[in-house]
Amino acid sequence: MNPDTSLSQIASTKRITIYRDMVLIAAGFFALIPLLAIHRVTDFMIFCIFVMSFDLLYGYMGRLSFGQMLYLGTGVYVSTLFSLHFSPNPILSLMAGVVGGAIVAGILGLIVVGLEGASFALTNLAFNQVGFFLIGSAFQRVTHGEDGISAGVEPWGFLDFANEPAAFGFVLLCLLFTFFMLRILTSSPFGIIIRSIKENESRVKFLGYNTFFYKWLTFVLAGAFAALAGTLYTLYVGFVSPVFIHPLNNVEVIFAALIGGAGNLFGALIGGVLFMSMKDSLSTHIPQWEWILGVLLLVIVFWLRGGVTGLIKSLTGYVKTKMAKGMAEEVEKG
Amino acid sequence: MIQTLLYGLTIGAILYFFAIGLSITFGTMQIINFAHAMVYALGVYFLITFMPLVKGIFPLATLCAIVAVIPVAYIMERFVIRRLYGESLDYAMIATYALLLIGTDLIKAVWGNTPQPISDPIGLSFQLLGIDIPVYRALIVVMAVVVFVALKLFFTKSIVGKIVVAALEDTEGVRCLGLNVDKYFSMVFILGSALAVLGGILYAPIATAEPYMGHDILLIAFAVVIVGGMGNLTGTFVSAFLLGMVLAITGRYWSQAADTMVFAVMAAVLIFRRSDK
Repeated sequence: MNPDTSLSQIASTKRITIYRDMVLIAAGFFALIPLLAIHRVTDFMIFCIFVMSFDLLYGYMGRLSFGQMLYLGTGVYVSTLFSLHFSPNPILSLMAGVVGGAIVAGILGLIVVGLEGASFALTNLAFNQVGFFLIGSAFQRVTHGEDGISAGVEPWGFLDFANEPAAFGFVLLCLLFTFFMLRILTSSPFGIIIRSIKENESRVKFLGYNTFFYKWLTFVLAGAFAALAGTLYTLYVGFVSPVFIHPLNNVEVIFAALIGGAGNLFGALIGGVLFMSMKDSLSTHIPQWEWILGVLLLVIVFWLRGGVTGLIKSLTGYVKTKMAKGMAEEVEKG
Repeated sequence: MIQTLLYGLTIGAILYFFAIGLSITFGTMQIINFAHAMVYALGVYFLITFMPLVKGIFPLATLCAIVAVIPVAYIMERFVIRRLYGESLDYAMIATYALLLIGTDLIKAVWGNTPQPISDPIGLSFQLLGIDIPVYRALIVVMAVVVFVALKLFFTKSIVGKIVVAALEDTEGVRCLGLNVDKYFSMVFILGSALAVLGGILYAPIATAEPYMGHDILLIAFAVVIVGGMGNLTGTFVSAFLLGMVLAITGRYWSQAADTMVFAVMAAVLIFRRSDK
């Protein structure tokens, strides 16, 4: 057999699984609508985009950041200010927010990407704190600080975010786009390199790769997708405040990525939905519910490293070996 | 201006008390301990509880609070932090952050959400160069220097200290000598927690006691540890006072920008340090 055709066959089956997965995801979110209100599902999907952006950085490249909120917040504020001062067109605001997030990530990435472990996590947290200060205090005249500010986005064509089904459809498209891009990216040679960086960076360096560039590019992409989630918040919620850039909220995305299973886009989606529904149901019943997050985090760290997807995998693996054993025994008997 | 400098020294001293524990935990166990902020706030709330019991004698209540925190620190070390020893840094950070979430909610549940003021236990002040200086603040600075010297002696003269310093350099090497490194790490962890409590209690009369008081200082203290070098005890002392000064001087002109300035210094140090590596 010609090796080229087999390669292209592999590529085409890969593409088919991507489309299959995308249909599954869309079906899953449609199935959530009867269970929750449609506006909650839209909210969940925006958060899921944010979790996927974080997972690219943490799950795939192994860099834990305590400052991903900075990029979400950059997307939120750039798109809001763009809609107020330049154009009320939602698509242009969205693009402005994403580009803004990518630029901030590109500049700060030059500083933080060379760091590792604790320094990386904490420097990101520090930058997030600086961003929070800039939005909340320093540029109060533009951003109205803690009081928040209303975005000036107007409906454009059928894209009207006050119309729930239209908003749902648009956000779902953005989520599928993010999933598609990240799936292609992480299964490409680029994805293999960033996963190798997670395992052992010096070996990747020995192979002749410029790891700094790969790490920087991943950081920028993660920032851009986080900013995409941010702009969707602007378009959908229409009113923004420094909550969207608050450094203490980073724990939410870390938690969501871990509970779903880090390093797995499905895990990011499951984690995002699980976290948001937990937050919704707990915060209405118990005023102080953060300790529950804490207890669950400890459970994950000590007993459930793979998260929900890891659990499912090991369960199916267990059942499969059990079944195989049973069959083997039957064969022996017979 | 002298007021500002004195304020910088006071903040620097508090930062030193707090950061020393973080620095030791990082240097010995490679663990970034977010739960340090919880211990810090918990100590202050213990103080509030003990104050009426010891008829308002501040030093005695401080002592009681420190003693009360020791078992908490021991439990944290024994059942969470020691289990993460040698694991990846991420899980340790997440687990200690989880402890911080749990502890903060516990504090809120027991003592409530509202900030509680604590009065200046001395209340006197003296004149220096025509400026009123509260005795209490001067005392904090003196105590920081005393603790620094005491720690220096502890780490260079006592056996326990020497073992810990050796373990900071090469944990496996010390383990190979047949020493139970974990036991000594546990001891310095409790020592670090006790110092954090002392810092929290000394700072409480200047600010107020509230459940998130630890969160505020935690980030700044991380900056202190990064600037001073993780596990570097003298470096921590110097950088605590340096960043305390940065905080005070920036705060004098633009109070909300103070934290940001500290992080700017930290970023500068990180960039600069990488270039000479």
